[in-house]
Amino acid sequence: MNLLVHDAGPQTTVQDLGRRGSLREGIPPSGPMDREAFLLANRLVDNADDAAGLECTVIGPRLEFADERWVAVTGATMAVTLNGAAMPRWAAFQVKPGEILRLGPAASGVRAYLAVSGGIDTPLSLGSRSTYLRGQLGGHHGRALKKGDTLPLGAPSGGAPARVLEPFIPDYAESPVVRVVLGPQDDRFTERGIAALFDAPYEMTPQADRMGARLHGARIEHTRGHDIISDGVAFGGVQVVGDGQPIVLLADRQSTGGYTKIGTVCSFDIGRVCQVKPGQRLSFKRVTVAEAHELGGAYRAELDHAIHWEEAP
Amino acid sequence: MGIYAEPRFLPCGDLALSVELGDDINREVNARVLALEYLIRQRSLTGVTETVPSYRSLLVYYDPLSVGWDDLTSSLHALWREARPEVLPPARTVEVPCCYEGELGFELEGAAEKLGLDPDEVARLHASADYYVYFVGFTPGLPYMTGMPERLNIPRLVQPRTKTPPGSVSIGGTQCCIYSVESPGGFWVLGRTPLLLYNPSAADPILLRAGDHVRFRAIDRAEYDGIAAAVAQGTYTTHIESPRHR
Repeated sequence: MNLLVHDAGPQTTVQDLGRRGSLREGIPPSGPMDREAFLLANRLVDNADDAAGLECTVIGPRLEFADERWVAVTGATMAVTLNGAAMPRWAAFQVKPGEILRLGPAASGVRAYLAVSGGIDTPLSLGSRSTYLRGQLGGHHGRALKKGDTLPLGAPSGGAPARVLEPFIPDYAESPVVRVVLGPQDDRFTERGIAALFDAPYEMTPQADRMGARLHGARIEHTRGHDIISDGVAFGGVQVVGDGQPIVLLADRQSTGGYTKIGTVCSFDIGRVCQVKPGQRLSFKRVTVAEAHELGGAYRAELDHAIHWEEAP
Repeated sequence: MGIYAEPRFLPCGDLALSVELGDDINREVNARVLALEYLIRQRSLTGVTETVPSYRSLLVYYDPLSVGWDDLTSSLHALWREARPEVLPPARTVEVPCCYEGELGFELEGAAEKLGLDPDEVARLHASADYYVYFVGFTPGLPYMTGMPERLNIPRLVQPRTKTPPGSVSIGGTQCCIYSVESPGGFWVLGRTPLLLYNPSAADPILLRAGDHVRFRAIDRAEYDGIAAAVAQGTYTTHIESPRHR
């Protein structure tokens, strides 16, 4: 059974947890920009974590279901309606054949996630359903959804009323504090340059997409130039070029690059970066690798208790 | 300069680290990077989820729930001791047909003028060399190569282009690359190959790999069009020479 797209929104793409093993060939992992919000949406509808769902950017789509499904919307604050009636976010609810689900414009945050029980069953490309727009790979014909598209759905495993507990629902209107591990090229920056990154907030610019997010704030000073011998770029890498402004490299990033990277945003905070709107601020906090591992482990364990089931699924 | 006495392990957030083996672009350092990657894959090193080789370093993605920093760096250090070029399987040589004519090589004349050479001579020199692929990256399937005759060393474009057609065979500094998707570029475009460096609809979308050797074969426009048509129909077979020893 399937899902009919009445209106797609500016950039709605099919994503799963991403493509693994192709970075060495220059193909980025893609996958959700806000991994935690994506995971919770899948878990709410009793899907496996790696089931494919939709990432909706800035304005959501209008969709019709051909059969009965459980759905959940997480992430950016997009008003959700079913046949015109307001529905909860961060919660699972049922849709019936012919009903129209609509996600409005994001009041806060940038990207919302829609999970459907059974998952979106577009073909696998290099082991993943994630859409890599620039490479025209994966998802629905390698592109963002368009009006009139029909998406195949997998067989649903079940479903039950469920919601995400309040403490796990981020307030995207707040300026997040994002943890950063220094390196790999922190030795190419002055002490003052490194201090600048952590001392005052940076503002998100409109130059932000699935490849990277350009920020604006205090100039980050290099010791000697911003060129390096090209090397691999990790998810969340904070690249600083000649103008001293940071660019956070994201899910559809270039696999390698020739510019200095002062640090790397911790995996568990990348989602927060991706929900910051242009003009909104974020600040960076320095942590060690050991601290990051501890924080990441604790966060992943906590996420396992983020959902309250009204009844057993 | 050259190969470090000991590898440097540089943190790249909580899920990756960079193993840096030297401080310049040379074949020996790169062969060790590829050898280290090869051994990691062959041994299925615990906790390693993905690797990305580049000129002189290997980015290693890992799962910190499976392996901690100390254990990972000590096992990488042990593998580094074994990571010599000899462990690698023999390299392939891939023939890349290239048309240096007219609009396909739209900066050939400009490059020739800059180099003080005749355009035909630039094309001949370019097609005469044996190129080595250090790694593939930036965009899908884009090979970073050296091997150019010294007379073709050329400063990069002062004003980079915003769009370069896929397949453009280009030079800058001592390097040669082939653009794999339409992208900005700062290298001089000497010609174009009808082969697809990246083909998202193929089961294996990538033509060239780290460690490959590349030979360009100069073709005329008619042959270019013929090969392009065969590639589009999926009937073209890339010429790959039997493996050679390193």
